[in-house]
Amino acid sequence: MKLNKNITLVCGLVLALASCKPEQNHYVPTPYELPQPAYFPSKNNIPADNPMTEEGVALGRKLFYDARLSGRDGSDGIRNCSSCHHQGNNFDFSGSAGLHHSVMPLVNLAWNHTGLGWNGGVATLEDMVLAAVTSPVEINADTSQVVKYLQKTNDYPELFEKAFGSRDITFINIQRAIAQFVRSLVSSDSKFDRYLRGEEQLTEDEMAGYELFCTEEGADCFHCHGGGGLALMTTNLFYNNGLDDEFNDPEDRSAITGSHWDRGAYKAPTLRNIAVSAPYMHDGRFTTLDEVIDFYNEGVKNSENINPLMHHVMDGGVQLTDIEKAQLKAFLYTLTDETFLNNH
Amino acid sequence: MKKSFFLTFVFAVFMLVSCKKPASYGELCVNIGYSLNGKALVTDSLCYCNEAGNEFLITEIQWFISKMELLEECGEWVAFEPQFFYIDTNIPENQTLGIKSIPVGKYKTLRFVFGLDEEDNRTGLFTDPPESEMFWPDLLGGGYHYMKLNGKFLDAEGRLAPMAIHLGIGQNEDCTEFYQNYFTVELPIDFTITETSENQLDLTMVIDNWFRNPHTIDFDEFGSHIMQNQAAQQALKENGNDVFRIGKPTDNENNTTMENGNRFAEKFKNVMQKAAPKPHFWTWKSVKERMGSPVGTTENRQAV
Repeated sequence: MKLNKNITLVCGLVLALASCKPEQNHYVPTPYELPQPAYFPSKNNIPADNPMTEEGVALGRKLFYDARLSGRDGSDGIRNCSSCHHQGNNFDFSGSAGLHHSVMPLVNLAWNHTGLGWNGGVATLEDMVLAAVTSPVEINADTSQVVKYLQKTNDYPELFEKAFGSRDITFINIQRAIAQFVRSLVSSDSKFDRYLRGEEQLTEDEMAGYELFCTEEGADCFHCHGGGGLALMTTNLFYNNGLDDEFNDPEDRSAITGSHWDRGAYKAPTLRNIAVSAPYMHDGRFTTLDEVIDFYNEGVKNSENINPLMHHVMDGGVQLTDIEKAQLKAFLYTLTDETFLNNH
Repeated sequence: MKKSFFLTFVFAVFMLVSCKKPASYGELCVNIGYSLNGKALVTDSLCYCNEAGNEFLITEIQWFISKMELLEECGEWVAFEPQFFYIDTNIPENQTLGIKSIPVGKYKTLRFVFGLDEEDNRTGLFTDPPESEMFWPDLLGGGYHYMKLNGKFLDAEGRLAPMAIHLGIGQNEDCTEFYQNYFTVELPIDFTITETSENQLDLTMVIDNWFRNPHTIDFDEFGSHIMQNQAAQQALKENGNDVFRIGKPTDNENNTTMENGNRFAEKFKNVMQKAAPKPHFWTWKSVKERMGSPVGTTENRQAV
């Protein structure tokens, strides 16, 4: 009887030790606190199955800049996310990346709820990572090769374990990590932000430009690109802005909605850091802000597809004077966030 | 005199007692609909005509209702949450306004604010889309659009022109004075809230009425960029007096109850007979095909 008792005791101890062991080694990642400027939306798009953690964001950042994300050794032209998303260019590409559309900036996407890309066809950042890694004109990688390649490295298995609880790398966790990093790219410290917070005054010209930006009788930018009441500087919605009057692009918004009315419509990009975001428009046709302003001033084309908000089209554009155009440009420069462009 | 005072006092006490909140509550769904030219609105595809003779289509209507209340038979107003409703023809699910916890009983009036009143209409009230997309720049008075009614119309020269009828706070020329353009709507009802979630009330915006009575709105004058045009804001505000009615959009199909509506229906019928016998309403495609033809010109419309 005594022997039985001892056996039971020993078994119990062994079991307890065995069950405790994994918990003792289990690394608990630290929750990442996404900055929440007071005038930003309160609802973000962080998915329930991919909460942001310090470790996840750090891993995502490493992958974002790591050429090994291509799953190749470099002899055949490796690429990574930062090949086309340059921080100094608002995390977009300053030239032609050889894509169907120009590269879109990666700014404040944690608060985007309308899909990604110029036509909004990609639902989530996680999906966008998969699309970019596998696209023949982007990273052009085989996901199973990427996983195998990273698994063989010395550093990644431990980083994945810290972020996701397992040394076994999966592609979905690669997607999750990069998506976490991209969600952490928050721009909220431009001069205009400081003006909204009451910390800095705009100059007379900048203020005049802001008035033009925010008035229908001025440049009428605010309906699509926000302002003080919509500080993301975009609605993230889709508009035909009168760039053309014939529409042949098979990947415009109508490709997603199937609606004839969405021919020639594209997402209104954020104007944050717009001064360093050239080239402009979905096809990158404008290389300077002056060209963009001139287009909205006198080059808007009418068609049955043009968005009703482009009501100055009947005059060809908003018809600003040269002084007003310079003031508008001065305001647009206040949207540049040097901290954002240098700290990630 | 003393006796009548006593009776009034007793009656008042009785009314107060009778209006005491009941122990039971029901839920209410207010179903939003839109009527135009005597039919339920179809966005993006049908062409309509207004009192001024403008031919147009509507792509979307986005607007706010706030401070909705019901008047009990005993004379007590019952307010409820939520206080603000954003309604958008692009979002089918928000065409039904769900209201919980309304005391059961009989109600005789529905009251609400079209837009947002000065107490509520402040920048920052909404930080999330889609409501935040309605923001009205601080320079123009701040807060939010009461309504965006967007579409296209054929202008006086027969050109396809954007229509953007946006209502909100008005301002004088140098933006130093601001004018509240919201208004309160009161509609008689005979409605009983029961202790269920099945209570349904239909509320229709009669779009035609934005553009007539007392002011005939010509889109060539007030069809777009009116945010800085208080004369347009005021005219549309005054036209708003009979824009809403209780009932479904199709309740008065082809038989609008207003005098102007009858005249308009007749006029519209003539236009259709002359220009487009089929279908019953012009399709936008047919308008497009006719663009450049004299049908859309001022002369032709006057002839009609």
